Amino acid sequence: MDIKTAEKFMEKLVKAGTEYGFEECEASFSIDKSMSMDILKGEVASFENSATSTLSFRGLKNGQMGYCSTNILDDSSIDYLLKSAMENCEVLNDEDPQFIYCDENNKNLYFSQVTEAYEKNTYKSFSELGLSLEKAILALNDRIDAVDFLSIACGTGPYLIINSKGLHSFRDTDGISLYAGARVTDSDGSVKSGGHYWVGKDIDDFDMDKFLETFKENLIGKMGARSSKAGSYKTILKREAFQQFFMVFFGNFTATTMQRGLSLLADREGEKIASDAFTLKEVPMYDKALTKIPFDDEGVLTTEKAIIDKGVFATALYDLKSAYKAGKASTGNGFRNGSAVSEMPTNLIVEAGEKSFDELVEEVGEGIILTDLSGLHAGVNAISGDFSLLCEGYLIENGKKGRPVEQITVAGNFYDVIKSIKSVGNDIINVPSGEGEFFTPSVYVGELAISGDDESNQ
Amino acid sequence: MFNDSDCQRILEEAMSTTADFAEVYQEVAEVKSVSLLNGQVIRAATGFDSGTGIRLLSGTNSVYVYSSDNDIEVLLKLAREAAAAIKGSDKGKIEALKDLCKTSKATIEIDPMSVPKKDMVDFLRKSADYALSYNPLITQAASGLAATTRTAKIINTRGVNAEDTTKRIRLSVETIATKDNEKQSGRVAPGTMRGYEFINEYPLIDKTRECCETALRMVNAGYAPSAKMPVILGNGFGGVIFHEACGHALEATSVGIKMSYFTDMLGEQIASPIVSARDNALIDGAWGSYGTDDEGNASSDLLLIENGILKNYLIDELGARRMNAKPTGCARRQNYSYAPTSRMSNTYICNGESDPKDIIANTEYGLYCTQMGGGSVDTSTGDFNFAANEAFMIRNGKIAEPVRGATLIGKGQEILKNIDMVGNDLEISAGMCGSVSGGVPVTVGQPTIRVSSILVGGREA
Repeated sequence: MDIKTAEKFMEKLVKAGTEYGFEECEASFSIDKSMSMDILKGEVASFENSATSTLSFRGLKNGQMGYCSTNILDDSSIDYLLKSAMENCEVLNDEDPQFIYCDENNKNLYFSQVTEAYEKNTYKSFSELGLSLEKAILALNDRIDAVDFLSIACGTGPYLIINSKGLHSFRDTDGISLYAGARVTDSDGSVKSGGHYWVGKDIDDFDMDKFLETFKENLIGKMGARSSKAGSYKTILKREAFQQFFMVFFGNFTATTMQRGLSLLADREGEKIASDAFTLKEVPMYDKALTKIPFDDEGVLTTEKAIIDKGVFATALYDLKSAYKAGKASTGNGFRNGSAVSEMPTNLIVEAGEKSFDELVEEVGEGIILTDLSGLHAGVNAISGDFSLLCEGYLIENGKKGRPVEQITVAGNFYDVIKSIKSVGNDIINVPSGEGEFFTPSVYVGELAISGDDESNQ
Repeated sequence: MFNDSDCQRILEEAMSTTADFAEVYQEVAEVKSVSLLNGQVIRAATGFDSGTGIRLLSGTNSVYVYSSDNDIEVLLKLAREAAAAIKGSDKGKIEALKDLCKTSKATIEIDPMSVPKKDMVDFLRKSADYALSYNPLITQAASGLAATTRTAKIINTRGVNAEDTTKRIRLSVETIATKDNEKQSGRVAPGTMRGYEFINEYPLIDKTRECCETALRMVNAGYAPSAKMPVILGNGFGGVIFHEACGHALEATSVGIKMSYFTDMLGEQIASPIVSARDNALIDGAWGSYGTDDEGNASSDLLLIENGILKNYLIDELGARRMNAKPTGCARRQNYSYAPTSRMSNTYICNGESDPKDIIANTEYGLYCTQMGGGSVDTSTGDFNFAANEAFMIRNGKIAEPVRGATLIGKGQEILKNIDMVGNDLEISAGMCGSVSGGVPVTVGQPTIRVSSILVGGREA
């Protein structure tokens, strides 16, 4: 299904929706086009190529918004969509009004970020890169048993939105991602696994040497890892771990979560909630980001803003519905999650500090670096902020990175952690996250409780 | 959809180069759901999706293409592109299509799709009304019902011509207790392939009360200790430990590429001799069941472990090729946008001989996890973790104070060997399992069991 065909169908649908009795209505259409390849043992083990599309309709009747979606775009679908959405309106009794939106000055936006470089993504270019990367990984160390996964994927994601108020906007983006993981047998026979990833827009930007350097550290660096004794440790969350950690609790910064009484940050905009050293911004059109997002899924223009400014909770994220309830304007963070809209971040940026990673380690003196956190969907209480997570990393001894550790858990509370941040590094990387990316350095978060069962004193 | 002659044309196109096997998977799915928060209906949605996946194999190489556009010309073009991408030396043959084999493990009296949303809302509202008036500390009550129906048709070059229909419904109830800055929840989320009669018979008020009680207990509880100790895992969803720490490592997805710590261990003692376990997709009306797997093979009741001895792996077509074995009817996928692979269905530790009361009485000191949260495992190293949503300390053989924030961590290989008591109160419990072929409905299960030693990560020394 192409955009042109969908566009015609959507115009017809929106017109039919108004005639059917909806006060306002809206149709959005997205296509997920992707290609991916897995390399295993010197061969292209699997190759995928796909295009899937979804058409979502929502209509407003008596203040209630009914939703329905399908991938079939023919006349019978129009009846199905309108009837189902109307039925849904009839059972809803949400007290908070919802909106179909159109900004008269920005109602016909067109923003495509798909570059010519996308054409370089072919079976041939992926297989050449994948096979040579697998070979290079195996050559890193003779204890590497196997590259368990090596996956390269690319995709584009056009999004078109049309509504009865006159909005007619389009955006598109593309990207490439590469993930690799391998296994190494340690001297005691135990197995360690580790990996690395890369995201970009041009396959020629992939820097093999740089990738391998980090890959090696993430895998070979784990050899000799064992548990550590329990105690309170000065802790650095390595940049990837900090991103994972922060995003688990990110829902607390959204207005809907607050309004439902499920966030301890409710009514605290303007209050100091974190350390002075911590500033978090949302920059939807960030020039270093792979995906720039000019408008959200409700057609509202996105805006640059601080979410936490030197420790002060500057603003929550709002969509049209939660903004109205709070008497504010939408911050352009209404994105579709399945059928319904909820607040999601675009590109998030943790403001870098002065220190390099090594200088952060030196500042800690004696403590621990956590590089991998596991069980983030299970070992946290997203509301209270309590967490207890399996993790891996390295000890910090005499201001230097020491031996690797595994089979330990770290426990604490999110709100305490952001208050006790001591220093933010300057080793920024970008990790795909939310609707965009999360740019973060490593962060020294103060002391955390570590449990482990190492008997020795090392 | 489901046009045999079109599917045959796709197979012919797919086999035009060097594939030795090709398969066409077509699916239509419909979903309807309602969600309530504090008695307000905040979401009501309906959706329809359909699509086609075409898979080509040549030895252990695979090419998978899929589209939500079911137009025959689009699919033929995709099949041609797939045929161009497959690497192989021999051209396979296409066997004549067998008679259609239709299956379903759903046991439906009242089709959930035929139930008006208003009835669903009225049902859920009873839970909300009860919870919000139960105790002033109960501040939120969320509930939802989601029904899905899916028919998948699979035909392949071996003549397989199968169609399986699943009809699932899942209820969720969550209540939240608030005290100062602390919020804790209690939840139940039963799922079934029985019809809406399951919902009509469900003891909603009793279960809502239990959720409230759990939330209230946990909001008043102190933190769990950090130490190695004996851990008793309650029946039902406690089986998530087995699912994560053992089940995933028995899937051909990891065994087939020799990545699992259970690779090449058939016939070996991998668990305590009092442990037997099965993966049984045949249970009528169970949430994780199916009649035909997503490769068109009949589903099965597979003995995984018998008295601690590893008896079987979960094997799909590609895994079978890698392992030189036969598929076990366990290939699954979330939908047409995923190639199928080996997955679990209803996976449980079988009943043992101990009375659950005796397990507690025989434990001087330890942790008793009555409700588990989710967890995850690295199948190459065996590292697993999972969280307890409700737990109590055991002191002198008796259930003592409730504790919160407990995470259990360890190595899958070790924990199975450390199971030292198995109860006789087997239950299974619905969940969703995520892996390379997407999220699929599964049940986990077990009787009450005791593990002699697990590292508990809490906040108190």
